[in-house]
Amino acid sequence: MDQRLAQLVEELTTAGEPQLEPGRMKELKKICRSSEEHLSHAYHLLLTRLHEEHAEMRFSAFQIVQELFSRSHLFRTLLVSNFQEFLELTVGTDHEQPLPPPREVAQKLRKAAIAAVQGWHEKYGEAYKKLSLGYHYLKQNKKVDFQDVHARTVAERKREEEKQKRLDNVYKEKAKRAEKEMAEMSQEVAGTLTEMENCFRLLLPDPFDFTVNSTGLEPNEQTSADEDRSASSLPTYVGCVDDEQPCCSKDILPISQCVRTDQNEELADKQKKPEQDLLDGDTCSEVESGVPVLGDDDYETFVRNHGLISHKYALDLELSTADIKVHENEDNTAVINSVADAHKLVRNKFLPSVQSWIQLFTRAGINDDRLRCAIDLKNRLEAALRKYKEMNISFKERKRKVMKASDDGDDDDDDEDDFVEVPEKEGYEPHIPDHLRKEYGLENCPKKDESVKKDSCSLTKTKQKNEDELDPTCAAATLKLIRDKLPNESATTEPAALEEPDSKRRKLEEERAKAPLMPFGLDLHYWGQDQPSAGKILKFTSEHRFWAPSEVEEEVENKEITEMLKTRYITFAGKFEPVKHKCRAPMPDGSLCERQDRIKCPFHGKIIPRDECGVPINAEDRAREEKMRFEKQATQPETEWRDPEFMREVEAATGVDLGSSKTNGKGGKKKGKKKYPNLTDLKQQANTARSRLEKIVFNKGAVKRVVKAMNQMDQRKHEKFANQFNYALN
Amino acid sequence: MLGFISARQAGLDDPLRLRRAESTRRVLSLELNKDRDVERIHGSGINTLDIEPVEGRYMLSGGSDGVIVLYDLENLSRKPNYTCKALCSVGRSHPDAHKFSVETVQWYPHDTGMFTSSSFDKTLKIWDTNTLQPADVFQFEGTVYSHHMSPVATKHCLIAVGTKSPKVQLCDLKSGSCSHILQVYCLEMNMTYGQIMERQLICHRQEVLAVSWSPRHEYVLATASADSKVKLWDVRRASGCLTTLDQHNGEKSKASSEAVNTAHNGRVNGLCYTSDGLHLLTVGTDDRMRLWNSSTGENTLVNYGKVSNESRKGLKFSVSCGCSPEFAFVPYKSTIAVYTIFSGELITMLRGHYNTVDCCVFQPNFQELYSGSRDCNILAWIPALREPVLDDVSEKPLRRQHINPAYEDAWSSSDDED
Repeated sequence: MDQRLAQLVEELTTAGEPQLEPGRMKELKKICRSSEEHLSHAYHLLLTRLHEEHAEMRFSAFQIVQELFSRSHLFRTLLVSNFQEFLELTVGTDHEQPLPPPREVAQKLRKAAIAAVQGWHEKYGEAYKKLSLGYHYLKQNKKVDFQDVHARTVAERKREEEKQKRLDNVYKEKAKRAEKEMAEMSQEVAGTLTEMENCFRLLLPDPFDFTVNSTGLEPNEQTSADEDRSASSLPTYVGCVDDEQPCCSKDILPISQCVRTDQNEELADKQKKPEQDLLDGDTCSEVESGVPVLGDDDYETFVRNHGLISHKYALDLELSTADIKVHENEDNTAVINSVADAHKLVRNKFLPSVQSWIQLFTRAGINDDRLRCAIDLKNRLEAALRKYKEMNISFKERKRKVMKASDDGDDDDDDEDDFVEVPEKEGYEPHIPDHLRKEYGLENCPKKDESVKKDSCSLTKTKQKNEDELDPTCAAATLKLIRDKLPNESATTEPAALEEPDSKRRKLEEERAKAPLMPFGLDLHYWGQDQPSAGKILKFTSEHRFWAPSEVEEEVENKEITEMLKTRYITFAGKFEPVKHKCRAPMPDGSLCERQDRIKCPFHGKIIPRDECGVPINAEDRAREEKMRFEKQATQPETEWRDPEFMREVEAATGVDLGSSKTNGKGGKKKGKKKYPNLTDLKQQANTARSRLEKIVFNKGAVKRVVKAMNQMDQRKHEKFANQFNYALN
Repeated sequence: MLGFISARQAGLDDPLRLRRAESTRRVLSLELNKDRDVERIHGSGINTLDIEPVEGRYMLSGGSDGVIVLYDLENLSRKPNYTCKALCSVGRSHPDAHKFSVETVQWYPHDTGMFTSSSFDKTLKIWDTNTLQPADVFQFEGTVYSHHMSPVATKHCLIAVGTKSPKVQLCDLKSGSCSHILQVYCLEMNMTYGQIMERQLICHRQEVLAVSWSPRHEYVLATASADSKVKLWDVRRASGCLTTLDQHNGEKSKASSEAVNTAHNGRVNGLCYTSDGLHLLTVGTDDRMRLWNSSTGENTLVNYGKVSNESRKGLKFSVSCGCSPEFAFVPYKSTIAVYTIFSGELITMLRGHYNTVDCCVFQPNFQELYSGSRDCNILAWIPALREPVLDDVSEKPLRRQHINPAYEDAWSSSDDED
């Protein structure tokens, strides 16, 4: 029974639960009840449990103690005789021996213990002297306030209060700052909001604002097209445009215009709806009041015209706002731009700051106009954002349509219209392709075989060119300067090209387009020529500073320099081709490997062609993979289902050896590693950056190494000064 | 007990024997009794207690906040339940109260009309008990750790005072002066004889933590100091102390070059003569207690084991009186250890305080022990009453009625069902 008692206590205290398990507790009580020896044994067991450096264990033990304390006199005597220790272990009266982690549980334990001491004192205080002494000790020396739910000591309470005060001050300061900021910014916010509101109005009138006239709107192109169609199909619609029609139906038009949905259908719906449901008189009268101008005849014709039976129904319009879409076009670009800007401003700047103000105010406990103002602002901003979202503005492509210089420059040459809008370019371009020359205000390279018409054209151009060249700010002038200075390449190459047939020339041009552009260098400068002085260096035989022989010149040829002047290094790195294939090896989770390595996947080896399921297409690859899997299994016989404990249970049940003993060693080690799986792992909690660093820095080996190195340094010093007596001695 | 009584009746035994046996039994059964309580006056730790030797009825307590309280220990209510009342106190509001912690209080040995108190405010005050006014105040240069008045002196009225300075000072109540300073005595005499060098050897080098007059010889004084020395003085003899107690009994110190005799390896902060004055107990911060032969200064080498002692100040412990093995009651952290003096056996630990115990005092008439602790409590340790002998079955239910309901077990009925 003693063993059972110990086992019960252990199980109960290592459960890690906030409540004791009632079944075991009952059994424990029963055992304790049976004899006094068991009770005192239980007391000692519990005391050792209370000594454990784990708050959860202590808490459970304390709960058992509480149960037994209220039941047995002997237990009370035993506990009270060692009440100091009990208080130290549960309330933490000794500041040098604080309650162990985890903190929350320790806090709970402390609270519970204090409450228990108070309860015990009320019930048993008179009979057990030390109990009341302990209670008074807590009350008067430790100044525990038994009414305080947090069961804090005076110092703790004071500290808490001070902290609160400090925080309050900080918050107040911040709130003040926020208030100032708000005062500054609210003007701006209001401005932005008004702007947005106005923009919205311009883009899309409020469906409920019936005063807005259709003329104030810019109907969408597309919708208007739709409208045309609908108008042709539906007679009502034609009526709507009529001036005679009631103003309310006039107003429907612009709204529906803006609503870009399948208008035909919707309108048809609208037509059907009023016919189906006749509404009660109230709304009817309202509608009717809107059409007071109509005479009886008009009324009749109106009804007839529209194929309606009666005029006494209300129009129930359902405008689904979800489908609203505003398209950007030339007419509303400016409005949309400003809306988008305002939206960005609101979203990125105003709303976050307003939110932070609200947070600050609530934290500082400010509950007056300031907070209300901030909340109001926030609501308005949010409403604006919502509205913006509902607008569903579909932007046009933001790219400017740039008139690109067309590639077919030859065709352009024939055109009369030489002046095309061209993107501006900055800086000097040394080489200007032929088809672009025109744009630079330059003459095309002279092509004699062009038509006469062209010549006349170019004549005007040359004239223009000369004028251009006179103007120093013009690019043509610059080019002329450069051309004068440098030997004209085009001048040398062009005549040769002239004689060649047309096809060959085209081919050459193609090649030229393909050829890489290289920077100009000396080697190009002397291309195909012998450089007479290449690599020749003047060498002075005498190295005297003042005196020199009369015939000084002695030239030495340096091969390296010669080579340098004649060679040029060009790297052909090739072109990067992105990998298109994937590894596609099957992964344990069923998916395929997504890695895009060129040749070899670091996880699955060489990349081989596979089908959709990841199975290699080639037979030999498949065989190899199969073999590898088999080998892997052979080295790792323990699969997951072979849980050693489970195996042992199965063995015990069936009496057949399944080989769990093989894994026994491992299982046992595992169990020893974590003795009580239910308790919070304290070591786990200590896994902070600091502790990890400590593990490395204060690692035994590392310390040893450092010590050794330092000793060595000392030793060296010793050796250095060994002959000096005062160093030699120590 | 009955045997002792019958032997006493027949005149076979010495009358002392019955008394001894009974008081020993009572001391051994000391416990924290729920019937006896001491009124809670002190708001801070209690440093010192003293029971007047004339009647053994009044007790003084000195607190670390400078408060002195006078208790009446005697139970005149004829009920077992009794709370020792505080008759009067020198509270914080008293104009002459000590400013700082009161370290020692002591009754005038021959009369309850006067008591003395010394404090960290560097004063020793002589109080008139009835008016609670200080009759005399002695000022010192350093804080006063301890003072003592000889319980047997008839020819002198000296109070020995141990202060922060290494000097032991003697205050004469007759003249009201404290000119008698032991060190000065030495110096004067040595100068007379031209032996100034000797002074440094015989005097304490650090503060004097405990002083105690011998209860046997009225001129013999023992002083204990933080320099781990205990010295015995004859105050009539001016040339120096009688002996310096040596824990090794001279065996080791002869060999070593420093001829210093130390009583402990740490500070010696407690001194107590046995009631007959033949032996002297000392405790030190080396966690040892030693018993010395007070006449020869020899270490009796009784092993008490570890006596935990972390006090930086003086420690007040006491010995029993009139028991057949005598007992020593020594504060041991938050408990009180009870040792037999001559065998060094630890009898029991009295647990009840929640903080370090600083002092305890034995009431010899009723074999009661009072202890003061830093948890502001004064606890009374009263001998347990004998269990009434059950010789009749009919008495049993009667006894049941008296028992406190709190003592009953309360196993719930739901447990019965299981």
